[in-house]
Amino acid sequence: MEMIYLIFIIFLGGAVATYLLGKINGVLRDITFLATLIVPAVLFYTQVSIGQTVDFSMSGMNLQWGITDFGYIFAYIVLGLGVLAGIYAVAAMKGKENLGFFYSNYILSIMAMMGILFSRDLVSFFIFWEIMTWSSYLMVVFSGKDVQKVGIKYFIFSAVGAYAMLMAIVTTYSLTGSMMIDSLVTAYPGFDFSMQLLIPILLLIGFGVKSAMMPLHVWASGSYSHAPMAYTAVFSGALSKMGIYGMIIVIVSLVSQIPEGHWFREVIAWLGGITAVGGTLWAVAQDDAKKLLAYSSVAQLGYIIVGVGVGTPLAMLAALFMAVMHGLFKGTLFMAVGAIEKQTGTTNFTEVTGLIRKMPLTFLASLMSIIALAGIPPLGGFIGKWMLYESLVGSDHYMLVIVVFFSSTAAFLYCYKFLFGFFLGQEEPEWAHVKEAPAMMVVPMIIMAIGSFILGVFPGLILNPIDAGLQELGYASTQGRYWEMSMLFNEWGDKVVLQPILYTIIAVFVFFFVFVVAKNFKKTRYVSTKDISSSGEIPKAHENLTFSRGFFQPFLRAVEPLMKHQIDPLYTGFGRGMEAIFDFVRRIYTGNGQTYALYAIIFAVLLLIFKNQLFGL
Amino acid sequence: MELLTHILGAIATVILAFVVGMSYGGIVRKITARVHNRIGPPWYQNFIDAFKLYGKTTAIHHGWMQIMGPAFLMVSSVVTLMFIPVLTNGGWFPNLNFEGDLIFLLYLMVFGPLGMALGAGQTGNPNSAIGVTRGLSQMVGFEIPWVMALVALMIQFDTTSITGLMEAQAQSGTWNMFSSPFAFIAAVLAMLGMFRYSPFDIVGAPTELASGPVSENGGKYLFTMMSSGSIFAFVKLTLYVDIFMGGADNLVILLLKTFSIYMIPVLYGIVSPRYRTEQAIRFFWGWPLFFGVLALIYASIF
Amino acid sequence: MINDKNSQKIVDIIQNWARKQSIWVLAYGTGCGAIEIPPTMTSRYDAERLGVRGAATPRQADVLLITGYLTTKTLKRVIRVYEQMQDPKYVIGFGSCTINGGMYYDSYNTIKVLDKYLPVDVYINGCMPRPESVLAGFGKLQELIGNGEANGATKYKENLEWYRANQKKIIPNWVMPEYNW
Repeated sequence: MEMIYLIFIIFLGGAVATYLLGKINGVLRDITFLATLIVPAVLFYTQVSIGQTVDFSMSGMNLQWGITDFGYIFAYIVLGLGVLAGIYAVAAMKGKENLGFFYSNYILSIMAMMGILFSRDLVSFFIFWEIMTWSSYLMVVFSGKDVQKVGIKYFIFSAVGAYAMLMAIVTTYSLTGSMMIDSLVTAYPGFDFSMQLLIPILLLIGFGVKSAMMPLHVWASGSYSHAPMAYTAVFSGALSKMGIYGMIIVIVSLVSQIPEGHWFREVIAWLGGITAVGGTLWAVAQDDAKKLLAYSSVAQLGYIIVGVGVGTPLAMLAALFMAVMHGLFKGTLFMAVGAIEKQTGTTNFTEVTGLIRKMPLTFLASLMSIIALAGIPPLGGFIGKWMLYESLVGSDHYMLVIVVFFSSTAAFLYCYKFLFGFFLGQEEPEWAHVKEAPAMMVVPMIIMAIGSFILGVFPGLILNPIDAGLQELGYASTQGRYWEMSMLFNEWGDKVVLQPILYTIIAVFVFFFVFVVAKNFKKTRYVSTKDISSSGEIPKAHENLTFSRGFFQPFLRAVEPLMKHQIDPLYTGFGRGMEAIFDFVRRIYTGNGQTYALYAIIFAVLLLIFKNQLFGL
Repeated sequence: MELLTHILGAIATVILAFVVGMSYGGIVRKITARVHNRIGPPWYQNFIDAFKLYGKTTAIHHGWMQIMGPAFLMVSSVVTLMFIPVLTNGGWFPNLNFEGDLIFLLYLMVFGPLGMALGAGQTGNPNSAIGVTRGLSQMVGFEIPWVMALVALMIQFDTTSITGLMEAQAQSGTWNMFSSPFAFIAAVLAMLGMFRYSPFDIVGAPTELASGPVSENGGKYLFTMMSSGSIFAFVKLTLYVDIFMGGADNLVILLLKTFSIYMIPVLYGIVSPRYRTEQAIRFFWGWPLFFGVLALIYASIF
Repeated sequence: MINDKNSQKIVDIIQNWARKQSIWVLAYGTGCGAIEIPPTMTSRYDAERLGVRGAATPRQADVLLITGYLTTKTLKRVIRVYEQMQDPKYVIGFGSCTINGGMYYDSYNTIKVLDKYLPVDVYINGCMPRPESVLAGFGKLQELIGNGEANGATKYKENLEWYRANQKKIIPNWVMPEYNW
């Protein structure tokens, strides 16, 4: 039997089995869940080769499944993050109700994402896309809180995206008579201009919703923060990348083929830049860690969209590298928030403080991920940012590089807010009982943090497959031109050599660690955070002196003009307007027989009056 | 053998940066005093202060992050120093200046302050956290004109490496401060915030925040911060000299150039009171931003 | 071989010289004497030329300056600040009030003799002492530090029980962390 079928059969069977076992036995359910994630992942990496395809026809439709070089990059994110977050989920969700449902949805999401990567035709692509949307929607409303506000918002936006995509697919079919993605690509240059514009726009609405692109991002903050954190790691880390995956295919394979594509891409790049700035500023303003990370995800996806929009080889490398990195570090951060939520019961910065000595490993993982997020060398986030800036400067996007840089600098603010809010500050007796999260939660976080470190020093490890994927899309090979295993080059041949950087940092760090830090640490004694110089006053145990409310007030005051305009009220206004129209329409049906009789009479009278014009009598 | 030269050169660079930075700090104190119509401390006062701080007992810590904070700062300063070409042709200070570029440096410079901010955070003193948030906010302010100036240079010379910029200046024979004046103005205005003299000393603000991030750190912690601050000042000055004033062939010229450019924020600071945080941010988004945009236009046209 | 005792002596001499040249003052403005600090620090008298400089928090300070009378309420805070300072540390009693109560000799809510509660290294006489005498006081302290005789902190550590007993007599609700370094 074809290995590709087997993978999907395992996924489907596992989903059903976990759901059923969830009603019988907890341990069996957990084991089945993990097996359903790990076995297909192993099978995928060992048995499935790139370019291998399977064809079958379903009710007259020819379908084709197979993995390409380009899809393989995203498969790394989906399966890697899926398995690690799955291990984490088993520990994190322990003791919650309705777990069989959660696990089977989780598996369905992973399966749908793999299906999207496997689909070579638009029908199965759309079907898997819908499975993905549905399973993620069920996860968003899993907690049962604010279903009306958050769940419906996500659902409406997903539905709009799906309809747009469906329209594009149907149009394609009517124009080409085939459902294959490849035939769309080959036939595209022959379409007339309106179709050339319509199809990418419709598809981009569909993908833009998932990748939280600027006017379509409003669902993201609520949905990311409402889903269980174990799932949000996948939701933000991998699921949003499906939008990027589709977007890249649309922009590179379709839009680039027409002369006007250049402007189209500029618009996309600028939308990405605005998304990045807006997401960052709103992330700074948040007091809830989940919301903060949700907005930060929007901002990070903005950078990726910028890279995709700009579309030079270096920019594409940057975008795809950042996509992988974002999966790594944002997954870790969401997991860390989940661990804190599990141990303390809250994720609000104003409530929980000073966890560093209670949850040191979670802190370490968060610290490394935050360094990666902020783009500070020697961790991986820097590579993506570096390549993005170099490509922007090299391709004459001078204002865009400033916009992106502003967003990236402002990101330091929320990075610090995250670390300070949870781990630093005064230690409160209220949280004295908090312990480190269970090993099954900590180990995936640490593995992913180390992963972002390794990619920061040897970006070639992941740039290699990305390069292959880009060749698949028709880019010339960048082999040795822009990067080597641990080296980066820009368009002018200037380079950053990462290994000496690492060696220097390690050497200097070891020097200071051994001679200053370790010595001092032994010689000094620990005093509690209540022992501070507060004008000679001794804070009482219950007095919380932590500065956590209005954390970046002055900054937010300074950027107030930028944050005044929101897209959300517009949508709400639009929704209200539609509601009013519907309400008016509804009033016609009064339920009173005499009114209906009146309508009938008015209709008859109108017919009589206009009969000449209407029937030409 | 080459490795040995590199290591010895690195040590020499660090010592040079430390001595120069510290002396400049002392001279600034002297100049400030003279402007105030005082006599002021001797120029070597900072060395005495540092030595005294090192000799003080450090009896307490609030957790390992507090101790790591100053170490982070020091590591960042030293590593950044390694990537700055001190002299044009390397000379006694070969270092690693061919391995990095400007964008890399921009991000590396943040490494230390972030670690320092974490160290300050763990002390639990609310003043520290307030100081850190002010510092980060101000950084967002001045980075924008600063990056604009750098991007303008990158466009003009088609290179992002510092050595490349220095070579371009050597070939054309004019310094970048004359060949791209708007970028220089934007960078100098950004520099006012970078050095944190008045009116941008909102981070430390002794009378307001009890010296902010360092308020819980005395003794060896403060010594480490003070010396890494001095090294960092040298790094920034040398960077300015390298990319705007054509670098320096020998130490005397280097000292002359760095000192003259250092006087801009110092002299501006002595006669200024302190801004509030949002005023400081808005300052950088006013004229400096305007000059930054001019620099970009100038660079993309010529 | 270097004799350990002798080398320690040399280090001490150098360190004492540095300590004496760099005095960071935590001016605890307890009483009216604090008004004499600004003229001492600014252009007219310029204490910075002697290496005297303000410190913002007790952790960074070398010298605790008790400027004037000390009410019983403030005493607790002053003790707290003193105990937060890092060795080596010195105390300067500023004005007559710290010596014998001064014009508040019969007040019910000020302490009379500072030395019973904190180890004072140098007293500056006067009500108020003019900046000249403040500078003279700093000069005296520098002399003492240079000779290695300003050892109030050691005295405090050795006689902690006596100091504590005195302090507790004044402060009824004694809630303080233990002083153990």
